[in-house]
Amino acid sequence: MLAYAARRVLATLPVMAIVALFVFSLLYLAPGDPAAVIAGDQASPADVERIRASLGLDRPFLVRFGGWAWGVVNGDLGTSIFTNLPVSRMIAQRIEPTFELMVLTLVLSVTVAVPMGVLAAWKQGSLIDRAVMLMAVLGFSVPVFVVGYLLAYVFALKLEWLPVQGYAPLSQGLWPCLRTLILPAVTLGGIYIALIARITRATMLEVLSQDYIRTARAKGVAQGGILFVHALKNAAVPIVTVIGLGVALLIGGAVVTESVFAIPGLGRLTVDAILRRDYPVIQGVVLLFSLVYVLVNLGVDLLYSLFDPRIRY
Amino acid sequence: MTGRKMQKGNLMLRRDLLMGAAAGLALPALARPSIARAADARVLRFVPQANLANLDPIWGTQYVVRNAALLIWDTLYGVDANLDPKPQMAEGHTVSEDGLVWTIRLRPGLLFHDGAKVLGRDVVASLNRWMARDQMGQLIKARLAALEAPDDASVRIRLNQPFPKMLFALGKANSPMAFIMPERVATTDPYKQITEIVGSGPMRFVRDEWVPGSRAVFERFAGYVPRDEPADWCAGGKRIHFDRIEWQILPDPATAAAALQNGEVDWWETPLPDLVPLLRQNPDIRVDIADPLGNIGTFRMNHLQPPFNDVRVRQAIQYAASQEDWMRATVGDDPALWRPCPSFFTPGTALYTEAGGERLVGPRHYDEAKRLLAQSGYGGEKVVLLVAQDQAVLKAQGDVSADMMARIGLAVDYVAIDWGTVGARRARKDPPAQGGWNVFHSWHAGVDCVNPAPYTALSTTGEKAWFGWPKSDAITALIATWYAAPDLAAEKRAIEAINRASMDFVTYVPTGFYLGYQAWRSNLAGVTKAPFPLFWGTSKS
Repeated sequence: MLAYAARRVLATLPVMAIVALFVFSLLYLAPGDPAAVIAGDQASPADVERIRASLGLDRPFLVRFGGWAWGVVNGDLGTSIFTNLPVSRMIAQRIEPTFELMVLTLVLSVTVAVPMGVLAAWKQGSLIDRAVMLMAVLGFSVPVFVVGYLLAYVFALKLEWLPVQGYAPLSQGLWPCLRTLILPAVTLGGIYIALIARITRATMLEVLSQDYIRTARAKGVAQGGILFVHALKNAAVPIVTVIGLGVALLIGGAVVTESVFAIPGLGRLTVDAILRRDYPVIQGVVLLFSLVYVLVNLGVDLLYSLFDPRIRY
Repeated sequence: MTGRKMQKGNLMLRRDLLMGAAAGLALPALARPSIARAADARVLRFVPQANLANLDPIWGTQYVVRNAALLIWDTLYGVDANLDPKPQMAEGHTVSEDGLVWTIRLRPGLLFHDGAKVLGRDVVASLNRWMARDQMGQLIKARLAALEAPDDASVRIRLNQPFPKMLFALGKANSPMAFIMPERVATTDPYKQITEIVGSGPMRFVRDEWVPGSRAVFERFAGYVPRDEPADWCAGGKRIHFDRIEWQILPDPATAAAALQNGEVDWWETPLPDLVPLLRQNPDIRVDIADPLGNIGTFRMNHLQPPFNDVRVRQAIQYAASQEDWMRATVGDDPALWRPCPSFFTPGTALYTEAGGERLVGPRHYDEAKRLLAQSGYGGEKVVLLVAQDQAVLKAQGDVSADMMARIGLAVDYVAIDWGTVGARRARKDPPAQGGWNVFHSWHAGVDCVNPAPYTALSTTGEKAWFGWPKSDAITALIATWYAAPDLAAEKRAIEAINRASMDFVTYVPTGFYLGYQAWRSNLAGVTKAPFPLFWGTSKS
């Protein structure tokens, strides 16, 4: 197991290198010019050219990529073209809100979606099942920003329970932090709950039709025991897989949610950087997201052996 | 028994502790409102028009950077609401009889935010950096014999040729402004960003609290000595009634509207016109025009490439274009927000003229437009129209333009891209089929269009002109007559001639004059109409 984990961690290095080259190439080929944004709308073409030269954007592709890659290998993600701040510092400023938002969303989603899916499978064809599936369809269909606006309208503007926007770091206390993250987490969790609930229901339906479940019932095992001990444990592998894959959904959703609720996280940093063509920031953030995604999938793979002892590495 | 007593004792202690904690929480809660209200009144939470991504107003000339810089740095002169330059850091000046030597004395007591005195050599370095980037600065530089600090409290500008607009240049509010920085900062290459933010203005930038894209904080600088006169735009006493001004970047307009309604922010610089009716329904919110000088929309053509290298095709656009269509698409049906503008200059200002703007007024003449197009020999080649989809104003105007051009028979190639890509592509002089362009939309702040000095889009110097590269020696000569104009009457004559010639040449097509709103909580007093948010004189109850 340890050897497998070590091999997988080592395998992330070429993956990250390919991601880095791919992202750098895409940005190089993509239209747009940070020098034009910096210079402002009234700047002359000559000013734009001089700013481009001062930023080194007129250098050949390989020179630019080599310089950046060498920096990354040495732990330096570069400096933002616009803010003149180190990219690592900008990421460090933004990582806490995004991390907390994603963890809260994950906890909320799993806590709500798994019991919903189990319940829907148990009561297949009933009103409860239909209600759960309706919620799942809504979760998939309603755009994240619409959910966000609706929640902000009801819980912030009308009831005045929670703030419309902003973020309080955990260092200011658990409740102040949670207050700012509840609405974004519920907003972001909608699609995730829908995904997990549907997979849980489908997998549970399959497991509940197995012979060993019938045997357990015949032996008089209580319904709760059948559902959560015998069935859910065996349905866990696909559910955990989906939770892992869904991290990509969370990253994508965080971009929108952080904009709607003005949370200073990595999602907004990414959007701002893309709109301004702040290449070092885009490259740094994409590299980080790729690393997170690779590590989450590694974690999911390792969890399989916990739920299914037949899986050995 | 002892154990029970002990247990009871423990319980009592725990209860006492809980009560104490509750009391501890309650007491500050009772005492907090008045203190909190007083403290809250000293903090202004402001939603700016855009993200503040850098703080160097010479390197980056975006309006949002200029607006932040107005808090951090001061200028030698500052324009008032009539756009007249008034002494600001300067105590006064003298000009030699031949107009070649300007000597400016600094006000006593001027300090930078690091506590150092503002000296003549700081001013020299700051003006040198500014001159390298500013259009008026470059005109001064072209006439400059020497820029020197004869002593710590004064600066001398010696010219080879008189420059009557000197004070306007030093005090204008157009970007880049001639902000005064410490010499060690101002000696930075003007094409590179400064690394140290040491201001000379009323507020100090709190770098540690800066989260680009989210928040920027300014604290009152106790060492700033405001002038005695009342504040008037960039002139007069810049008295700040806040200890902190917090800029909160809210990229989503609906969120910004909700935050203002909920009292989470005090002032929103640029609410969407669509949201203004909603805000007006709230008794705790005030809404008014933000900038009385507004904006002039631009239909900008590439003069280097066919078909717009032919003046007849450019004039065809003037005959077919409807400013009303452009403006209604831009700001909706609110008549307070727009007006026709058959002029290159800002309506309501001293030099405004409509001379030569007849082709933009009255019923549209599609037949005349088609006739001119046919005369030009236009052969149906594609006309590449760049439309920024992420800028609501430009998207709206681009859609109207596509329809108008198609109506007169131009084969429109509508290129939907983002503003960053427009910024890069418009700099290309290649033929449209090879990555160039024919038309893009933009806008110019009215404060930049009051006269030719800060007006880059009016220039017709060919390769050195703004994107589109129009070339007309006649217009360039007319602009020179304005610079040399000795009085307002002469300036007016020059501007009238410039407007007429520019309309005939069709440097670009103005799409109309439009305004924007600002919105603030009703407990905020002193909010002023200006081309930039004025924080001095504003207070909160």
